[in-house]
Amino acid sequence: MSVASLEQVAREAFARRNTAGGALARDAELITRTARDMAVRFRRGGKLIVFGSGGAGTDAAHVAVEFMHPVIVGKPALPAMALSNDAATVSAVGTDDGIAEVFAHQVRHWADPGDIALGISRDGGCSAVRQGLAAARDLGLLTVALTGAHHADRADHADRAGPMTRADHVIAVASTDPAVVKEIHVTTYHLLWELVHVFLEQGGEALT
Amino acid sequence: MGAAEDPARGRGMRELYPFLYEVSADPAPVWADATRSSEGKATEIVLLRRRMAELCGDRVAVCAERMAGAFAGGGRMFTFGNGGSSTDAQEVATAFLRPAHGRPLPALSLTTDVAVVTALSNDVGFDAVFARQLAALGRRGDVALGLSTSGGSANVARAFEEAARRGMLTVGLAGGHGGMLTELSEAGVLDHLFVVPSSSVHRIQETQTTVYHVLWEVIQHVLAGRPAAEHDCAAATPASSPP
Repeated sequence: MSVASLEQVAREAFARRNTAGGALARDAELITRTARDMAVRFRRGGKLIVFGSGGAGTDAAHVAVEFMHPVIVGKPALPAMALSNDAATVSAVGTDDGIAEVFAHQVRHWADPGDIALGISRDGGCSAVRQGLAAARDLGLLTVALTGAHHADRADHADRAGPMTRADHVIAVASTDPAVVKEIHVTTYHLLWELVHVFLEQGGEALT
Repeated sequence: MGAAEDPARGRGMRELYPFLYEVSADPAPVWADATRSSEGKATEIVLLRRRMAELCGDRVAVCAERMAGAFAGGGRMFTFGNGGSSTDAQEVATAFLRPAHGRPLPALSLTTDVAVVTALSNDVGFDAVFARQLAALGRRGDVALGLSTSGGSANVARAFEEAARRGMLTVGLAGGHGGMLTELSEAGVLDHLFVVPSSSVHRIQETQTTVYHVLWEVIQHVLAGRPAAEHDCAAATPASSPP
């Protein structure tokens, strides 16, 4: 195999990110609304509970460290925890009650009604994330879903999110490639973190 | 990465969000400005990815071919980073070991075992936390892949030095000016280094995710035409995307 053809593979792979990346700008207002609602919960003492399976579990850990240890010096740490980090509990619940229960169980025993639940599933099909969000909704948490395109041929936003549409806010990346969805998710939660702090600093009427 | 190696350190919210500091009793401008700010950043990351493809797309292909060669020869991969970058290291490991499609390849994130990480940090020092693991686990022909948004993480640099001593293929992802990792690259310790030309920790991390996903794609493309190595978990169908 010639190196030239591999260079072409790499170039095409880079280029495949452009469309979904450009589409994120269209979700800017949704991201603002989501961040505002999250800031309201933080302001009242709520904490952020994040979960995802597989690679999305690493995103959950990233979100938690983003809020707990701000990259901008002087920003307050905000309480956040990633449920996928506890391998002992995840494997215990998964073995005894089934993998779909691993986050819902932890939500029921950790969450307060004033908290925020953020579930991440790149194709919207993760049963553990769906049940985690459902348990959170039942308890009165603000629920936020990060997902990808459900069906590539459906432009409708709600359909793209598939079974995760019952969350209060659903941010769905316009791609079915899980690698591309992950990349746009990282930008999305970076923006959410920044805007949460914008709203907390602004306070007052911006949070009412 | 953490705040300690943050290239944006010292840049306050005032610089990032000047509209916050304009006196206004009306919340509406905050909403509009926040939304405009996100739109601008969404555009910025698309342009930065394109710039990265222009700057290092060809070198990514060369690196991927060498990594594929290491895997084909029975090599394993060890990944490492701090803070957000540790989550990327874990993402890389699971994307290689358990891809949705394609050939599973042996990969381990060195922050996975909290007992080992805290034991080494407590007894030896945090700078040694990855190097010591590589000294125990790594061997000639393996791959060491480390991420640091600034290139200034001492434990990542130490790990590359140990990996190079052991004859491992070394691959670094950094940002800004590349810090210590640029020095290691110039000294010939680091075989491949990809530096994202940005001063924003967030945009650097976002671009790094693309770089390692493209590496994965090209590696799978190369390996699709080869028989499985002894250490491969299984030889599966050709790939199009990681999990």
